[in-house]
Amino acid sequence: MTTGKSRKRPVIESGNPQTGINLKGTFISVMLLGVFILVTWFGLYALFLSR
Amino acid sequence: MLKNTLFPKKEARLYMAFMHVTFASLLIGGLMGLLQTLSRSGQFKLPFGINYYTILTVHGVILGLVLTTFFIVGFQFALMGKTVGISDKQRKWGWIAFWTMLIGTIIAATTILVGQANVLYTFYAPLRAHAAFYIGLALVIVGSWIAVFVNFRQLYVWKKANPGQKSPLLAFMVTINMAMWFIASLGVATSVLVQFIPWSLGYAATINVLLSRTLFWYFGHPLVYFWLLPAYMAWYAIIPKIIGGKLFSDSLARMSFILLLMFSIPVGFHHQLTEPGIDPTWKFIQVVLTFMVVIPTLMTAFSIFATFEITGRRKGHKGLFGWFKRLPWKDVRFLAPFIGMVAFIPGGAGGIVNASHQMNTLIHNTIWVTGHFHLTVATTVILTFFGIAYWLVPHLTGRRLTPKLNKLGIIQTIIWTVGMTIMSTSMHIQGLLGGPRRSDFSNYAGGEQVSTWISYQVAQAVGGTILFIGIILMIYIFIQLAFFAPRGIQEFPIAEEEVDADPTPKILENWYLWIGITVALILFAYTIPVIDIIKHSPPGSLPFDWPIGR
Repeated sequence: MTTGKSRKRPVIESGNPQTGINLKGTFISVMLLGVFILVTWFGLYALFLSR
Repeated sequence: MLKNTLFPKKEARLYMAFMHVTFASLLIGGLMGLLQTLSRSGQFKLPFGINYYTILTVHGVILGLVLTTFFIVGFQFALMGKTVGISDKQRKWGWIAFWTMLIGTIIAATTILVGQANVLYTFYAPLRAHAAFYIGLALVIVGSWIAVFVNFRQLYVWKKANPGQKSPLLAFMVTINMAMWFIASLGVATSVLVQFIPWSLGYAATINVLLSRTLFWYFGHPLVYFWLLPAYMAWYAIIPKIIGGKLFSDSLARMSFILLLMFSIPVGFHHQLTEPGIDPTWKFIQVVLTFMVVIPTLMTAFSIFATFEITGRRKGHKGLFGWFKRLPWKDVRFLAPFIGMVAFIPGGAGGIVNASHQMNTLIHNTIWVTGHFHLTVATTVILTFFGIAYWLVPHLTGRRLTPKLNKLGIIQTIIWTVGMTIMSTSMHIQGLLGGPRRSDFSNYAGGEQVSTWISYQVAQAVGGTILFIGIILMIYIFIQLAFFAPRGIQEFPIAEEEVDADPTPKILENWYLWIGITVALILFAYTIPVIDIIKHSPPGSLPFDWPIGR
């Protein structure tokens, strides 16, 4: 049921509560950085084990 | 002082003096690097009977110790001058620091160049250099200590004049770096004064090799962070301004520097993992402490990404990575440090491998390590320093970075990136194939494994040549910025906090607490093993002047 008044919900951007700005790109970037470190480490660990 | 007001001339002259030595060192040290890579390619013989280990030592000392220290001390003086000010008396002491360091450099460099100190920049005993080499290095360190106490005094005077106020972020960072440098360099200074100088003069017949190496690496690892922290200063507090953003978090930046202070020093054993005579338990403890450095490093990475994203989104760029595309790629003040940041990703990952105790055997004493520090110091740090020089030098000389010089800077950055990618990658691969570091060209009596190395050594010569072209271009740009660029005011970019930023907790400026914890960690990590080394070492070593040394 509508009341006739448009009740808009305030737009809340997801993300950092301090800035209110979306930081999804940052999250993905640091995750990729972590993956790179792990791949490098385990790659060389495999080489270590193979020798 | 307003950021866009130029320094008074007498002040700018001091900071520029450090820059002149920096870029002169770049030319000399870079030329030596070129000769090394050509020599190791096996296609080129050094002329005039020049010893390979002479140029190797010049390269390491002039670039690793002299260029870095002069740039850092000069840059940090400029940051302190801009944020907390410098008195006439402090400036005079700044000059005393400069001349002490320069005289030390000239003494050490001359001793190397006349072939009396072919001991590499690590000057491991029992290789013996002429005493003048050690005295020269000691003077460089003493000069830097004068700068340390001038910087401390600058902040102290500012705090007295501004009671209850938070210190400027960059002044805080400089103070952390200088505290770390002072605590760390006490180790190498002790070794040089108590062990090397009496031994090289013949007053002591033998030297405790393990103790000297341990004291060197007590200093040697924080040395790496002494290079890196000024780059972090730029990444945290200068780059945001250049890209049109704000400081991400004052508290995070301070906390990250405090953690780096704590965990940069009690970790030297990870450079000595194959060293006999050190209890493996203490090696393991220092490996764990080394890994703690990952935390502030990843905090820094997060902060940088977040700064980029927030700035981009505020400018209206949409999508997951829309903000990334719109970064100021055509501004060399951003591009050069940015490539430095990117290089730190493989550089840091490689560092984790190096410090991984048993896995260290995979790469120890191989040219992988050389490839590693050419990524960290010679790319991450140096490209950030170049990025700083593009605005700092014209700011000091009252000139401007023109669009033409900016373009040349971008070309320089690309040349450096290409040259270093070729050189460092081939070093990493050759290292994994067992290729040794430090040594002159040899076919090792035709060993089978050796045949797999040579193509990588040729690639290093190609990369080294490209890098030297980059050095020539950088020197040209520096001369232009110092003497010939049009007059004007080049901005000294310092990022500001958000207007609604949360206040920084006061505990972050509790120097007694943080330095106290640092000293406690050092005592914990080093006291027992050092007592052990002194009590149980084999008889000391006589000096060796051959095959290298003097």
